[in-house]
Amino acid sequence: MRGISWQGLAVAFGALGLLTSLQTSEDENPHARAPRDVSLVVTEGAWLRAPGADWFAQRAKAEPGRFTHDATAAGGAGGWVDSHGEYSLSEIEGEWAYWQWASAERLTDGRQDFVQFCSSCHGLNGDGYGRSGQHLRPTPRSFQQNKFKFTKVTADLPSDEALLSVIKRGLAGTPMLPWDLSDVQLLDIIQYIKSLSPEESGWRDVYSQVGDAIEVTEDPWTDTKERAIVRGREIYHGAASCHLCHPGYVTNEELRVIRKDPEGTTYRENLTYPALKDSEYEVLGRATKVMPPDFTWHQMRAGTTTADLFQTIASGIKGTAMPQWKGAISDEDLWALAHYVENLIVSYKDQPAARSAFMGGLRVSGDNK
Amino acid sequence: MSMLSTFTPSFALLRSRWLGCPLALMLTSTWALAQDKRWGPGEPASDYGYRFGELFWLITTLVSVAFALVVVLLIVPMLRDRARPGHRASFDHGKSLHDKRLTAVISIITFIVLDAWVLVIAMKDLREAYWAIPAAKDPQTYKVEVLAQQWAWSFRAAGVDGEFGTPDDILTTNELVVPKDRPVSFNLTSKDVIHSLFLPEMRMKKDLNPGAINLAWFKPVVEGEFSILCAELCGFAHYQMFGKLRVLEQGQFNEWEAEASQLASTAFDADDTEGHWAWDWQE
Repeated sequence: MRGISWQGLAVAFGALGLLTSLQTSEDENPHARAPRDVSLVVTEGAWLRAPGADWFAQRAKAEPGRFTHDATAAGGAGGWVDSHGEYSLSEIEGEWAYWQWASAERLTDGRQDFVQFCSSCHGLNGDGYGRSGQHLRPTPRSFQQNKFKFTKVTADLPSDEALLSVIKRGLAGTPMLPWDLSDVQLLDIIQYIKSLSPEESGWRDVYSQVGDAIEVTEDPWTDTKERAIVRGREIYHGAASCHLCHPGYVTNEELRVIRKDPEGTTYRENLTYPALKDSEYEVLGRATKVMPPDFTWHQMRAGTTTADLFQTIASGIKGTAMPQWKGAISDEDLWALAHYVENLIVSYKDQPAARSAFMGGLRVSGDNK
Repeated sequence: MSMLSTFTPSFALLRSRWLGCPLALMLTSTWALAQDKRWGPGEPASDYGYRFGELFWLITTLVSVAFALVVVLLIVPMLRDRARPGHRASFDHGKSLHDKRLTAVISIITFIVLDAWVLVIAMKDLREAYWAIPAAKDPQTYKVEVLAQQWAWSFRAAGVDGEFGTPDDILTTNELVVPKDRPVSFNLTSKDVIHSLFLPEMRMKKDLNPGAINLAWFKPVVEGEFSILCAELCGFAHYQMFGKLRVLEQGQFNEWEAEASQLASTAFDADDTEGHWAWDWQE
């Protein structure tokens, strides 16, 4: 034993340990957690895009005395001036736009709550790839992509109120819960989420449009629901061609009649099933696909009342094949579509016997599967 | 000191006939709550669920009897040996050999009656029901892989082909559909922290540990909608981590399964490997 140097042995063990640790750090594991020593402090505030003049006119009514209209602002075009200094109208690259100031303290509050409540799925850096969000389809939103599915806005980006209502309501049938945090907490989180936009994109881009949820217009079919459903069925399979992605709820023959196509026209295979569609939502740099819902089967993410359906159809779903229908078809037809879809949900969803009779009937009589 | 001196032990309450009131209230409210579906467990909806009820009432009865006995044994000497006119308070430390023997005998009997009895029945239940995982090879066994996360349940059933990791796997979130009168077998694991799959009406509860696959099973014998809850505090939104268990009658279930499988194949994206998470079935 005299030949052994104990200090030497200790050094050898230490070196071995060091080597092992070096080896494991080189091992690239895509599922590894983000670094744990993340700072919860945000040191810089941010100017974020705010909605346009209409939104400020609304605010001016809601908070008398806060906003004043200055005719000389925006280079003579006129604009709203905020006495609190939170909002500002300024020119960047020749574009006049409203901006909202999110202070470093506010972003810090938002980040702390974001890390506690949101980061498990949406990732510590908001990339939509947190530990619990992995392998999830549909994927959790990445706040670096700035595309939101169910905010019901027609603009590129949702207003704070639109985001707030999505978070408070949750997305049914997904792990996105109806969050019951306070509005103050949620709005801080929202400011933080917006500040995650990469430079010159999303809320940091002067060219982005920020909008409120689409207005629920007056339903013209309140007393004539039956006719709305018939009209909706025609629009669904006719003018709007919803059956290209969603299931067609008619036989081939009925579809031919609705579309006034010549005898013998054939339509897509599996007409009574939805068709998988490309989306812009990426995971690890790869775009995923999304499934348009079968209204008699799948859960609606953003509500099942006619008003909800009207808003969802009108605004479209960003980053997917679902376009914005507001403007493309009249409000009257939008409402008819909403009534038709609501009727499908109410009549067949979670009612196995009724649904299989209905869908089975379509599949037997036509040549579609 | 003044506080202490004002407090003189009074046995008026013990002599009072009102003594029974709080005790009776406690027992009746426990019993009443157990009858209400919202507070009590309700009727079991699985074939082994009755074992839970039997064990529950056995323990409740034994503990109630023991409680009553202890209360009597405490109150009687307190009244008998208290100070009163013509009688000096007396007490005893129980140091005699006789007292020690008596204590030992009472302890052993209590252990045999209360603990050993319950233990034997509980072990029997575990062996015969909870640990008797149905054979995966049996075509009757309906297999479900459960992947829990903060704060949702992902369920994967094999679909019509009976193989996991194929396009027709039925994937659901926070909703599980199972056939009536067929054993449902689970492979359970978690992505992040420990969760616990709790099906209260089925009397089934099992932890889901990240990095391990746990097994559990039950056999629904009642059709309808039941609760899925998380029974392990798993973070802020633990209380919102719930889902719906639907038990369908066999014919309806087969139809449901065929349709769900077909829709799943339609939604399957072969290139999206990050989205595929099935594992080989563990027994």
